[in-house]
Amino acid sequence: MDSMGTGPAFGGPDGGEPWHEEPAAPETAFAFEGNWRDFAKIAFTNLLLTIVTLGIYRFWATTRERQYLWSRTRFIDDHLEWTGRGKELFFGFLLATVLIILPFALINMITQGLIFRGNEGVAAGVFIASFLVLFYFSGVARFRALRYRLGRTHWRGIRGGSYDQGFKYGLSHMWKYTVGYLALGLMVPWAMVSLWNERWSAMSFGQLSFRSEADFSPLMKRYLLVYLAPFVLFIAMFALLAAVTFGFGGMENENTALGITVAALTVILMVGVYAGWGIVYLAFYAKYMRIVIGEMKLGENIEFGFHASTKDWLKLIAVDIGLVLVTLGVGYIFLTYRHWKFFITHLEAYGEVDPDALTQSETPMSKHGEGLLDAFDMGAI
Amino acid sequence: MTEPVRASWYDGLTARKREGEAVLSGTQLLLHEDGGDETAITLSELRFHEKKAEGPVYTLDHNTGFRLRLHGEVPGDMAARLPSGQLYGHWIDRLGLPKAAALFAVVSAAALAAVYTLPAWLGPMIPQSWERKMGDAMLGDMNNVVCHSPAGDKALARLVNEIDPGRPVTRVDVANIDMVNAVALPGGRVLIFDGLIQGAKSADEVAGVLAHEIGHVRERHVMQALLRQFGLSLLLGGANSDIGSTVFGLASTSYTRSAEAEADDYARERLDDANISPEATAGFFRWLSEKGEGPSWVSYISSHPAPSDRQEKFEAAIEEGRDYRPALTPDEFAALETMCEDDPDVEEFGF
Repeated sequence: MDSMGTGPAFGGPDGGEPWHEEPAAPETAFAFEGNWRDFAKIAFTNLLLTIVTLGIYRFWATTRERQYLWSRTRFIDDHLEWTGRGKELFFGFLLATVLIILPFALINMITQGLIFRGNEGVAAGVFIASFLVLFYFSGVARFRALRYRLGRTHWRGIRGGSYDQGFKYGLSHMWKYTVGYLALGLMVPWAMVSLWNERWSAMSFGQLSFRSEADFSPLMKRYLLVYLAPFVLFIAMFALLAAVTFGFGGMENENTALGITVAALTVILMVGVYAGWGIVYLAFYAKYMRIVIGEMKLGENIEFGFHASTKDWLKLIAVDIGLVLVTLGVGYIFLTYRHWKFFITHLEAYGEVDPDALTQSETPMSKHGEGLLDAFDMGAI
Repeated sequence: MTEPVRASWYDGLTARKREGEAVLSGTQLLLHEDGGDETAITLSELRFHEKKAEGPVYTLDHNTGFRLRLHGEVPGDMAARLPSGQLYGHWIDRLGLPKAAALFAVVSAAALAAVYTLPAWLGPMIPQSWERKMGDAMLGDMNNVVCHSPAGDKALARLVNEIDPGRPVTRVDVANIDMVNAVALPGGRVLIFDGLIQGAKSADEVAGVLAHEIGHVRERHVMQALLRQFGLSLLLGGANSDIGSTVFGLASTSYTRSAEAEADDYARERLDDANISPEATAGFFRWLSEKGEGPSWVSYISSHPAPSDRQEKFEAAIEEGRDYRPALTPDEFAALETMCEDDPDVEEFGF
């Protein structure tokens, strides 16, 4: 499969005849052309305004950030455009507050009352019911956020969207994760991949539908590592600790030194175990992203790829952590920039696009943003 | 007609790019496609989208896919009639960033100040009966945590009666919780934790702490704190969406220092009226200050003024040579101490 830029045929910039240019230096279909200095101007003013408005500005801040990031993202010969509004995100947040957060705060209070009255059974019932409702809405939220983002993303004047409201997806989300976890957690990769497929297959860009037909089985080897890593790492840790304790045991009157060494080692090893487990998970996640994006298609002709290796992800996270630590937290405002750049840099598309044949999406557009997703504190794509 | 400007546009229907020239003519913007058709756009429907390095980008009100890009320098007479964009948002752009930021900061500070100060006079305006209903809804009768024994109930009733003769407003119980603490909860409900009774050297000490909590009820501090908490969570929009998630979150909702001082004043007044010596209460605060901050769960200490100051105030209230009487007889105090032990139905309440 050829990459977009070097491909044999795709619509030229004037939208006329397909382009028959000589294959030049390999060029990628997606490129990020922003720089952090420009982004800093946006990020710092956003930070200031968010602080002085006690957080209310954050919806407009997100919009400004996305406008910048999208407009510096080139797909083939033109840039993406973010047409979402701060108002929409704010409205979505209000909606989520009224529909979800307030009722749940109320239910929570009543449940407390029930426990104090000694009606633990009823309280447990209410708790389980509210958990199920939240579980359902977290799926719906994920779906609707993707739909919102596609609907507000324009390329050459064309946007994406979905005809689906995502309410059925919420049910799928529930039962698939339930099955995933019930099988001792072993079917979680299946749930993740099959939900990704379901979500994306309901989306479209212009008149073209997305399709995603990823298979979860290549993920299982790495998932088993994630699954077993805690046991292996803990056993290794205890073995090491035991060895040290035993080694010191040979010497006499070294109890204090031994205590200190063991305590220090325990701390280091605990951190090591968590970091080790994190790295194993990252290896799984890196492959997950490569597989699910790699099996995506838009229309008949466009395919996608994602080429971030575990090492790339590790570097991303390590620099993230370093940046935030060194700047005493201020670096946090650059993380969206870093993550978007990472995503676009490793994203690839293959095939051909005929601009004349790519027509406007007729999917309905919701007036509210990602409120639900915000309420559940969930991430992007 | 203005000077033509090079332009490219998408019509929002297909992804086909069109190139040509744009000119202003009356209330319309005319787009001539090179070697093709002319499209007329009503100027009032045109919206600024963004500023790019090569020139401004416009869109249409009813067609978000429409994109018009002007290339190069836009002549002054044309630029003046084209819509302009937003940088930070409507209001902020109008004022300029520094002014807007300062204005927002002032408004936010005022809102925060209002949330801290308004409850002090809003709280007492909310009828006691409402607070009681709310407290009942939140807490119920707490039968499984509250200790009862015939002798203990009698002793407690006498103690409360001494300190708070207008009792119906306040309901006092001993909770089977092993902490040196006492709380005033919504609905005029006071809980003395069993741990405090076990740790107390005399009934006088319990009386002092009890009088302090009743002070919170009488002065409507609970409602004030609730309102303050509610206002803050509204104000910080979603940052703290867990409104009143746990009762003990509420119980530990801190009162302001002036509320604490008021409750202490009330306690001294009531002890004086009941002819109970404040000495034991002073001793309790001495013990607290010697103990230092103590474990974090001793919220009784953390949200209050320094124990040593309070110790001094209670010490100052002792009248030399006055003939104080003990808050309870030794038998009554003993009944209070064994109240939770003697109650077969009560559960151990853990966190």
